[in-house]
Amino acid sequence: MTNLVVAAVPPRAQLRRLAPAMVSTIAMFAMVAVCASLQSDVLTVTGLTLILSATVPLVIAAQAQMMLMSVGDIDLGIGNFVGLVTVITATKLVSSPGTGMLFLVGLVAAYALLGALIHLRRVPSLIATLGASFVWLGLGLFVLPTPGGSTPTWLATFGSWAPAGFPAPLLPILVASALVWLLASRGSVGVRVRAFGSNPVALQRAGLSPLAARVVAYGVAGALGVLAGLLLASQTGGGDVSSASSYTLITVAAVILGGGSFRGGNAVPWGVAIGGVTLGLVSVVLSLLDVPSNMQSAVQGAIVLAVLAGRVVVGKVLR
Amino acid sequence: MHVDNLPVGPLAAPPSGDREPTGAQPVVTARQVTRTYGRTRALTGVDLEVRAGEVLGLVGHNGAGKSTLMRVLAGLEACDEGVVTVRGQEVPRDVRPGAAEFRAVRMAYQETSLCPDLTVAENIWISSRRCLPRLRWRRAASAAVQRRLDEMFPGHGVVPRDRVEALTLARRQMVEIARASLVDRLDLLILDEPTESLGPDAARSLYDHVRTLTARGTAVLLISHRIREVLSVADRVAVMRDGAVVADKPAAGLSEDDVLVLMGAEVAAPADPGPAPAAVPAGDRPVIAELRAASGHGLHDVSVRVGAGEVVGLAGLAGQGQQEVLERLWRPVRKDTTVLGSRAYVPGDRQRSGVLPLWSVAENLIVTAMRGLARYGVRRRAEEAAAVRSWVDRLAIRGGADAGMTELSGGNQQKVIVARAFASTADLVLLDDPFRGVDVHTKTDLYSLIREEAANGRSVVWHSSENAEMAHCDRVYVLRAGRVVAELAGEEISEERIIAVSFAESTEAPQ
Amino acid sequence: MTLRTLARPWIWGFVASALVWATILALSSQGGGQTVSLALSLAPYLVIVGLGQMLVITAGPGNIDVSVAPVISLAGFVAVAATAATGSVAVGVLAGIGTGLAVAAISVLAILGLSIPPIIATLAAGLIASSLTLSLADGFTAVPDEGLRQLLNLRPAGVPVLAVAVAVLTALVVALLSRTTYGRSLLAVGQSRPAAERAGIPVARVLAATYLASGALAGLAGALLAAYIAPSPDLGTRYLLDSVAVVVIGGTLISGGRAVPVGIWGSALFFILLDGLVNLVGWSTAAQNLLKGGLVLFVLFLAGGGTRRDATTSRPRRRPRPATAATAATTTGDNTHG
Repeated sequence: MTNLVVAAVPPRAQLRRLAPAMVSTIAMFAMVAVCASLQSDVLTVTGLTLILSATVPLVIAAQAQMMLMSVGDIDLGIGNFVGLVTVITATKLVSSPGTGMLFLVGLVAAYALLGALIHLRRVPSLIATLGASFVWLGLGLFVLPTPGGSTPTWLATFGSWAPAGFPAPLLPILVASALVWLLASRGSVGVRVRAFGSNPVALQRAGLSPLAARVVAYGVAGALGVLAGLLLASQTGGGDVSSASSYTLITVAAVILGGGSFRGGNAVPWGVAIGGVTLGLVSVVLSLLDVPSNMQSAVQGAIVLAVLAGRVVVGKVLR
Repeated sequence: MHVDNLPVGPLAAPPSGDREPTGAQPVVTARQVTRTYGRTRALTGVDLEVRAGEVLGLVGHNGAGKSTLMRVLAGLEACDEGVVTVRGQEVPRDVRPGAAEFRAVRMAYQETSLCPDLTVAENIWISSRRCLPRLRWRRAASAAVQRRLDEMFPGHGVVPRDRVEALTLARRQMVEIARASLVDRLDLLILDEPTESLGPDAARSLYDHVRTLTARGTAVLLISHRIREVLSVADRVAVMRDGAVVADKPAAGLSEDDVLVLMGAEVAAPADPGPAPAAVPAGDRPVIAELRAASGHGLHDVSVRVGAGEVVGLAGLAGQGQQEVLERLWRPVRKDTTVLGSRAYVPGDRQRSGVLPLWSVAENLIVTAMRGLARYGVRRRAEEAAAVRSWVDRLAIRGGADAGMTELSGGNQQKVIVARAFASTADLVLLDDPFRGVDVHTKTDLYSLIREEAANGRSVVWHSSENAEMAHCDRVYVLRAGRVVAELAGEEISEERIIAVSFAESTEAPQ
Repeated sequence: MTLRTLARPWIWGFVASALVWATILALSSQGGGQTVSLALSLAPYLVIVGLGQMLVITAGPGNIDVSVAPVISLAGFVAVAATAATGSVAVGVLAGIGTGLAVAAISVLAILGLSIPPIIATLAAGLIASSLTLSLADGFTAVPDEGLRQLLNLRPAGVPVLAVAVAVLTALVVALLSRTTYGRSLLAVGQSRPAAERAGIPVARVLAATYLASGALAGLAGALLAAYIAPSPDLGTRYLLDSVAVVVIGGTLISGGRAVPVGIWGSALFFILLDGLVNLVGWSTAAQNLLKGGLVLFVLFLAGGGTRRDATTSRPRRRPRPATAATAATTTGDNTHG
């Protein structure tokens, strides 16, 4: 009897951990199903390309958010940061690719520096990244005051790439998620980062530097933010610093939907991909349902609340 | 490189080459080591030597300086004065965790040093990464920890893929011990209360493994409050008191009582336990709080009754359900709990859940009573100030009402937090082992305060890990493994009696 | 000015606004008094929102209200519509405040009932509010009440009436924090939630009141702002970042437990004067944002958050099981006993 109970513990615990992502997965498939029932074209390659393309930069920005949340921080500047990257892509990267690249690398370094300062000065990431978001916005407006510019040809080519066999947007989503998975879930770098989020004391006792763990997390988040900006620019064909301002909060929601937590210690790249796609699909479903676009944010908000409420219920049942 | 510390082979030859399996070679030595935190002198000049191939038991009361000494010996922090040598080499002053000198000194922490969100194998990587390959480390770590656990705790039931969070306390402890022992060369293994959450079988197989380790020349430092266990395992026993090692004797020939005497009698217990309690027989008092056969959340069929004006003790070893009883009484939301009247709580961990660090003594003291004094939600400062004055005087809180809370010594902080609870109009005051690490004079003041308040009709439920304190109670419930195993009243309450009941059958430790 | 005063972060807002004011004075023919008067007529809106945000941030780590921006926009429409429908300005303003309370009630339910972190709860409530705003904005024809607009523009002797009113409101908040049990409880919760709980403070009730206050203040700001400018879906957009920024620059302790209502005036004036300077010089908004962000980061990193050792290094665990409780106890307390 007791043996049975003991044996049942690990799978149950695992179930409890996976439950959030499963709830989100169900929500995602439900949305695709609704789309398909309204518009049978959706299930073709072109249809899927159409409904998924808008979610690509969002998913990658959400991976960046997840890196920070895995150390227990929150990034309130990611939206403007992605916007800034699109602006640099649309201007400097076209006129002088070398300088443009240098700028982008500099942005990643700036993120790492921000992480270091947050750690050393022991300030809440929430406020520091909020302050940084003003800086990103200011820099973006400096470079390109009004939306415009053009994308480098290689990026434009990638943006309009349409293979016959599968929907093109799936490729960046899967590749980026797999990379983050290898780095944050499988690799030793990820172990350091997650250990810092989980129990910094243990990390320190083992002689590893908490500062390094945090800087790495911020650096990776910065790199993913740059990637998200490049992909967004490839889709819009230009730069606009405020084009991604809604990402800031939506990415947090995507991580939470994907099974991440504010506590730190977890990396859930696949869950984040699902959460991001789910939130991105909301607008598609609503437009297919002829719901006025006004209601889109309300539905997004309601979905976040409903999924989290569902998780509370599932958590209680599984306890 | 491999993670097994099999007998020292040519691969792991010591730099000086002087290592002989004589068993008399000192591995780590401390000479006149002192360590001060703020006003607290945690170590006041410790001399200790751990020799290769021996098991050294370290015993002492809470606050005797054991944990600090361990941290110094494991290289987690430097000492203020004195010298620590590892294998004959003096350790530099600015030692930091992970320093090369201490690579072969490993410690298994009582509260574990694992990351709950990571898997067992990933935790092994964190602490033993130097002995693991860069690629495929996950597989190597899994194999190593699996093998070590099989050696140490046959039938442990831990899978390296499991997340630590999902493991039971006992299994976490096993992983922690295995983690500490996994290194390519192990000179000293420090075990801090290793059997606290282990079952008897696991404890036995752990000590068997300790014997094989020492046979290979590794030294083991064992810290435990289970004195009988220490005496049966250790070759030598060192007793700590007030930040120093006061005795260092071979274990053979020592009895449990000898060790207890060396640890120091309970100075805090006055001969006269205050005004004669139990003037009213317990049964005749009106009951103001009650737990009726409460179960769940760590309790099994616990019934507790608190009469008006009664001081009820909750005794037993630490963590046997006393805090859960207090929690039920503090938030009586379940049907099996009845509490009539208002409550106040004195937390034991004052840094975390007692002190409001930005405020002064007065503000800290009055925050609970403020609500009762206020009218329509507006504070009445004159009344508050008067209450603060009287309490600061009554408990002689040093620094006065306007001192910053964080500037006070621990004892004075504790006085403020106790005063906070008693300054309110609460009918029932819950004490969660609040006098740990508090000096004797403060304790005596607070004991008499508790008796006075009880004489005025207040009820007190008092959990303490110091059994001598229970002499100040009218009645004492002794808990073990979430059950009430004894109820003592009046004359029956004595330290020996409580120890006897809490340790009886303690071989079947909680799982 | 001694070093000790300089070390108080709230001083920076006033210093910065004085500097900007001096620059404006040097660059333009405009009288210095007029500049101040103009700034005083615009700053109160930001101060109102900032006071609410300050209360929320004071409640401790993790507490933030990101729904203020949509609440301001929504309350603007609701207030103008209610005023137009009833003809009463008071009803309109009350409707605006009620809107803020209603949105905050959603957040409170999510935070306390579902244990959802505040940032997500207020985000979701804000998303719902912004949808309602867009629906209301469709074919919205009512115009703000002319009487209220004139009142808001009234500047006897160069001092705007609204600035005086909001100064009184600020004084009320100061009194609230020091004189009432709610205020003291909020400060206690912000310093240490477990300690406040053990001291018998009804933490859930205090948190609920705090978020409701923030919602009500944002609603009030929206109602007034809509009358002053005009209702629009973007009315509140800039106030999310600005409200948090003025709280930080204003010297309120970001880890909670200490609020500085007066400091909000300094930083709000700085933000408004900066707008004026940027317009005057013809700088882009880019510079404005860079300056704002730079100052926030400067004040933040200068002040640091190291007052509480456990604020950033060890977070409270989810479930207070005995074992984890022991871990927390040892990580924070192992230096003092043992």
